[in-house]
Amino acid sequence: MRVIANMNLCQGHARCEDLCPEVFSTDAVEGKVVIEQPEFPPELEEKVRLAVRNCPEGALRIAKGAVE
Amino acid sequence: MSFYPQSPDHVPADRLIDFDFFEVPPGVTDPVEIWHGLVKRGAPPIFYTPRNGGHWVFLRYPDIAEAYRNYEIFSTHKAQIPPLEPYPVLQPNGVDPPQHDVFRKILAPMFTPLAVRRMTEGLQHRAEGLISGFAGKGGCDFVKDYAAKFPTGTFLELFGLPEERLSEFLRISDTFFRSTDPDVRAANLLEIFAVLEELFREKERNPGNDIASTVVQSRDAEGNPFPWEDIINCGFLLFVAGLDTVTNTMTYVWRYLATSPDARQKFRDRLDDPSAFLLAIEELMRINAVSNIYRRVTHDCEFKGVQFRRNDRVVLPNTVANRDQSMFKEPQTIDLDRKVNNHVTFGLGPHRCIGSHLAKREIMISLQEWLRQIPEFELDPNQDAESVFGGPVMGFTSLKLRW
Repeated sequence: MRVIANMNLCQGHARCEDLCPEVFSTDAVEGKVVIEQPEFPPELEEKVRLAVRNCPEGALRIAKGAVE
Repeated sequence: MSFYPQSPDHVPADRLIDFDFFEVPPGVTDPVEIWHGLVKRGAPPIFYTPRNGGHWVFLRYPDIAEAYRNYEIFSTHKAQIPPLEPYPVLQPNGVDPPQHDVFRKILAPMFTPLAVRRMTEGLQHRAEGLISGFAGKGGCDFVKDYAAKFPTGTFLELFGLPEERLSEFLRISDTFFRSTDPDVRAANLLEIFAVLEELFREKERNPGNDIASTVVQSRDAEGNPFPWEDIINCGFLLFVAGLDTVTNTMTYVWRYLATSPDARQKFRDRLDDPSAFLLAIEELMRINAVSNIYRRVTHDCEFKGVQFRRNDRVVLPNTVANRDQSMFKEPQTIDLDRKVNNHVTFGLGPHRCIGSHLAKREIMISLQEWLRQIPEFELDPNQDAESVFGGPVMGFTSLKLRW
């Protein structure tokens, strides 16, 4: 499974980075999301889903399959 | 509720409520009750009050969220309540995209999570020093002795100003945030702008590694300096936005912890687990949202079935959004393990509080250090009854703790 970010919506709240630093970080210029591991391993699924649900801007989503 | 001062004719009678968010009703000891009293008495989700120059209030999370994001209708530009002109156009907060992006981009790198993590050591040092000054005394006034000093000291450091100026800055910020006397306020504003003028001139001559120097040395796309007024107003924004908000959020947090042994225990248990500690802080950010945010309607329009006129003012009370049951499970319960927590304490959309990561870290480090030095504390039964205030930032002028 993959997680993808809509960069037009991301405002740099960094909740994803707080909740799942294995997959999400933020850049040093704007502080917006950087997805370090778009295709995350199954053991991180719960954490990634939590991060997605906690994005205040609804900028993250999980996509089935490798490429949409 | 029986008599309304004149209201604009586009406001229907069933959306009219006599409500003054600066006024603390008698007997209220927690200023958020100013807002939650309204919800309890069944105010319409979008209503108009003639008080404070007249303004709308939104009470539902989805409407507040949409207003934050839709800057084409709900502008931050000249949105003061009551309408106040001339008032400095804060940079970047007082302008909307695309102009907003200019100063936002200048400031952003200094407030990213990465930049803020690098401030940890300095913040720890400050917290440790302040707390050890009174830890042995058995009590303190939390507002005066800590919550005002900590963010103000941090501001001085970030702006490359010497610590010796702390008492001067505490005095001018206290007057700025608390005085209601128009003459005192006017003189205070002049003083703040004189201080900022002197600061940026000095940083222009002798730049250092601080926010003021970065702002004053920044250049536009053609390599030209920005208008001097914008530079000063950017400094003014950071002064306005970063001091009182943190002070009052901290006061709320400590007030809650002083009355909740379970919560103190939970935080103490997490002292060695910063990510769990931060998660619990996030819930305290939700429940202790001190800011009520202003917007100005840019053109006559309909929004959610309500007619708005150009220049109508709107207040977005974060505390109400954060306890909307359509968004939060058991919204009145403080659940330090809350899983989904999309609070709007730092706003949403392009104007999202740029200092949110710094604010959270200031609170987190303060609390960690406090619990190490003062693991148990309670409210002093002798509280100042007049300490509660409402307005755009709600809070307390005093909070006496003892241990």
